[in-house]
Amino acid sequence: MLLQAIVNGLLYGAVYATIGIGFSLVWGVMNIINLAHGSFIMIGAYLSYTLFSAYQVDPFLSIPLVMAVLFGVAYLIQRYLLNLVVRGSVFITLTFTFGLQILIANACLLVWSADYRSINLPYAGLGLELGGLVIPYVRLEIFAVALVLSGLFYLFMRKTRVGVAINATALNLEGARTVGVDVGQIYALTFGVSAALAGAAGALISPIMSINPFLGGPLVGKAFVIAILGGLGSTIGALVGGLVLGLVETVGTVLLPSSFQELLGFVVLVLVLVFRPQGILGKRFYE
Amino acid sequence: MKRSPLILAGLLVLFALVPFLLSGFWVRLVTYIFMFSVLASALNIITGFTGYAAFGNMVFFGLGAYTTAVLMTKARLPFPLALAGAAAVALVVCVLLGLILLRLKGHYFALATLGAAEAMRQVVDNLTGLTGGGQGITLPPLRGKPFLVNTTFYFLMLVLLILILFVAWRLSKNRLGYALKAIRANEEAAGVMGIDTTRYKIVSWCLSALFTGVAGSVYAYWFSYIDPPTVFDVMWVVKMFVIILIGGAGTVFGPVIGAFILETISELVWSRFINLHLGILGTIIILVVLFMPNGLLSLVGQGRGLKDVLRSIRTGENRI
Repeated sequence: MLLQAIVNGLLYGAVYATIGIGFSLVWGVMNIINLAHGSFIMIGAYLSYTLFSAYQVDPFLSIPLVMAVLFGVAYLIQRYLLNLVVRGSVFITLTFTFGLQILIANACLLVWSADYRSINLPYAGLGLELGGLVIPYVRLEIFAVALVLSGLFYLFMRKTRVGVAINATALNLEGARTVGVDVGQIYALTFGVSAALAGAAGALISPIMSINPFLGGPLVGKAFVIAILGGLGSTIGALVGGLVLGLVETVGTVLLPSSFQELLGFVVLVLVLVFRPQGILGKRFYE
Repeated sequence: MKRSPLILAGLLVLFALVPFLLSGFWVRLVTYIFMFSVLASALNIITGFTGYAAFGNMVFFGLGAYTTAVLMTKARLPFPLALAGAAAVALVVCVLLGLILLRLKGHYFALATLGAAEAMRQVVDNLTGLTGGGQGITLPPLRGKPFLVNTTFYFLMLVLLILILFVAWRLSKNRLGYALKAIRANEEAAGVMGIDTTRYKIVSWCLSALFTGVAGSVYAYWFSYIDPPTVFDVMWVVKMFVIILIGGAGTVFGPVIGAFILETISELVWSRFINLHLGILGTIIILVVLFMPNGLLSLVGQGRGLKDVLRSIRTGENRI
């Protein structure tokens, strides 16, 4: 029971990593807490749901399309709206992205209604049996794709011109501008990449959870915890943070009565914030 | 400058007459706007004056409401004592939370307070024996003619509003207020200048918590039914943020102006389009942040008008 919970937690943690990477990227580069990050995940899940129910597209195959759509939408939002207030106080950007979140929630409510949606894959019941453990193929597949996405992102940030420019902008704004980086453009690309990863995470979790228009808020909370645990702007950190959160959640449901879980999450969060605000690994921005 | 006391006195007389001139519906609506003015003014003290975005301020509202409900139903205390209890609980919790959370800054503080509010909601939700859990709790209502009940709560909220406006007005010109402004401008420098920043931050948050908790207490007695999702609703804080933005952060009367504008719009527009309720609020939030990040008055003065915003949208880079 406990072992099964640990395995499930680790498998789920990879998706959390995908969620946390995008969230902490935007936070690290632009100092924006994107409260609409959860809504991007939700849009990804809904798109993959629609592709599945209307055209029988496997959610794993819909990922590239979902990523492209979210990249485009987020690019435009950052370029033409968020860039105008990006230098505002914490209170301005938090309020703005919250407005975005409820706007998206309302749009999803109108398009997909308040009903809970879920995807039933034909191979949902199949799984790998190891001793007493059962590992569903779906979860394995989710784990693998999430890891691949995290790896690709890692390479993107280190090997491509855009990735390096994003790093440079985060580390030294004036310096980046001096060497000719178009900061507005980089911000828009950053937001786009973050949303694309969120959309991919949404498509990934769509086969194992029920989707409703009010997912956005709770998912942002998780993204925040992952980013805090991992430290800002670190890919490896987000991976660690995601795995830790996945473990804490699944093991917590086995060991603790449900009434304590939320409180425990808060206590852990505050302890980390107060004593290790740089995250578990404690690396500086972008290792 | 000489005319402002006259205007205030005039407004006061006008507001004192409202219950005798308007119907019950409007009196309740104005009471509701007063409540939001109180909540936004209270949030303005920690957010506008001190620069700490307390995203989870509803924790004090919920605590105030629940303390009142529990004291009135389980301990059978009269409302004034329950109100005092609510104020005390809000203050104690604020000091405890403040000692831990006010060490954090910026986003960290904002989201940690949000976490505190969520955690408190869960606790209240799970203490079923005391609070009734998710089913909520019903308070003994104030008995009497509807006119008397409406008028009582109207004046309770009005008195609360006058008190917090007095506090905010004092803060705009006394030592404590200057210390808070110094903390907002540059906390390290304020510390170097000899300001005990931790103490001042806690005092500022406690003022905010006190009024938020008392407003929650009055709300509970007024509506005579509360449940955790309502009294710990994050959306309320966001509405208060928008109210503060419309009126101007760190000003004395801004939150009142903002509350009247937002709640009037809400009454006129969203109540007719239930399906678009959230979408319209979201759009208002985005427009307010884009067009008047420094309050309504900034539009008239050196703020950015439509032209500025359109120009910066075209070039795609404004304040970067």
